[in-house]
Amino acid sequence: MRKINAIAFKELTALFGSPLAYVVLFLSTAVFNIFFFMIIDQNREAHLKDIFTVMEFLLVFFVPIFTMKSFAEENASGTMEFLLTAPVRKIEIVLGKFAGIKIFLFCVIAPTFVYYFIFSHFADFDKVTALWGYLGIWLEVNFFAAIGLFISSLCRSQVVAAMSTYVILFILYFSMSFKMYVEGKLNVLVSYIAVMSHSENFFTGIFLLSDVVYFLSGIIFFLLLTRLMLNRQ
Amino acid sequence: MIQLKSVNKQFGAISALKNIDLHIGPGEIVGFLGHNGAGKTTLMRIITTYLPVTSGRVMIDGKDVLKSSLAIRAKLGYLPERPPLYLNMTVKGFLSFAAHLKNVPFREVGKAVDRVCEECWLTKVKGRIIGTLSKGYQQRVGIAQAIINDPALLILDEPTSGLDPLQVVQVRELIKRCEHQRTVIVSTHILSEIENLVSRVVIVKQGEIAADAPLVELLYNSQSKNLEEAFLKLHPVYEKN
Ligand SMILES: Nc1ncnc2c1ncn2[C@@H]1O[C@H](COP(=O)(O)OP(=O)(O)O)[C@@H](O)[C@H]1O
Ligand SMILES: [Mg+2]
Repeated sequence: MRKINAIAFKELTALFGSPLAYVVLFLSTAVFNIFFFMIIDQNREAHLKDIFTVMEFLLVFFVPIFTMKSFAEENASGTMEFLLTAPVRKIEIVLGKFAGIKIFLFCVIAPTFVYYFIFSHFADFDKVTALWGYLGIWLEVNFFAAIGLFISSLCRSQVVAAMSTYVILFILYFSMSFKMYVEGKLNVLVSYIAVMSHSENFFTGIFLLSDVVYFLSGIIFFLLLTRLMLNRQ
Repeated sequence: MIQLKSVNKQFGAISALKNIDLHIGPGEIVGFLGHNGAGKTTLMRIITTYLPVTSGRVMIDGKDVLKSSLAIRAKLGYLPERPPLYLNMTVKGFLSFAAHLKNVPFREVGKAVDRVCEECWLTKVKGRIIGTLSKGYQQRVGIAQAIINDPALLILDEPTSGLDPLQVVQVRELIKRCEHQRTVIVSTHILSEIENLVSRVVIVKQGEIAADAPLVELLYNSQSKNLEEAFLKLHPVYEKN
């Protein structure tokens, strides 16, 4: 646990060491505020669904920026040899980096907790649905981050890592739009793979175990794959 | 302490190590000598558990490197050929990070960092960002990182390459200090740099051990005045390369 913490801390200092982190934090909070203001201004139902939807959209773009470095930089600079010859398990390296990114992404999401408290004090507000929505968005960004880590572990170049992660996240995110063009089994497959078909349920308060399984299995799958990639020289 | 039995290493079609047998006892200071591409780095990477062998066996303290890799790495200090440096961390930040990873007791991390900074003449630059340091300092940070867990086995891959003469002298001094009560392996392709440093020389040539003897014996057998001459006798083509 101590080594995971040390790696997570190192990742976090690196993330917060770049001005990009603050730009993203500022930008995302600003966008969330606009959407929150629109809900209030238009006197709509007190619901965080819109916030989650825009959050999901923004995170598709932001996650690759913060995962691209994780392994690619260490592969390129030779520090991977240091990590792999230190008395650290490979899975600890993966989990440490994953934890670092998770904490950063939590900071992106955290400002919206204010809306939750405002709604629960001043409106007729379905707290359970909102919390379920938070669980959904949290699982989703973890899923994105696990994919980003995996891609980064394959690369030496950060740009290549970011671009490849975008390709995969875009496929996952936009595939719902192609659903209508395919039929039969393929249609079922597309809607199972598309993240939106699962995240929507979370955001609108539909409780389905299969959605939780989708994200959790995806996270575990990509983390294990990342761990396996560290074996190859 | 270290035992290699008929170790082979292939990289695709390239045979980087051929049937290496090597025994290094505790407390020995060994120099791996050979020109670029001879297989020194590969040999070190196998001993440090970084690379698996293609065939053969490597034991350290009676333990197989593949099976007890974690326990072996806990006793190891390793400076790779390319010093592993996080260029935007401070010297102190990086050394603390290394200490945490290398099992230095939590409460003693600060003390360990101070100790290695003192040993490696880094105290003055402790707060500096590593990327802003000169090559000589960076190399010393690399060595400091390797000795932070007070390792029983210290492996340094070309610790003096790319340094100016004064920095070379400093690093050599530093390695001398690290030699107490440790097994040390240093590699180099510049002979004069290990002549005063090691007690035993292993000459690696095209993936094979061309000579393995105490420094004095090697010089005596080849009737040479210094290591350079002994090396040239074993490598007739050396000058052409
Ligand atoms: N990862 C690798 N992939 C393919 N070939 C390699 C790899 N590492 C080393 N080699 C080859 O193995 C041989 C020995 O290299 P190396 O151990 O780095 O030599 P040295 O450290 O003595 O200069 C060289 O021919 C080199 O090209
Ligand atoms: Mg080498």
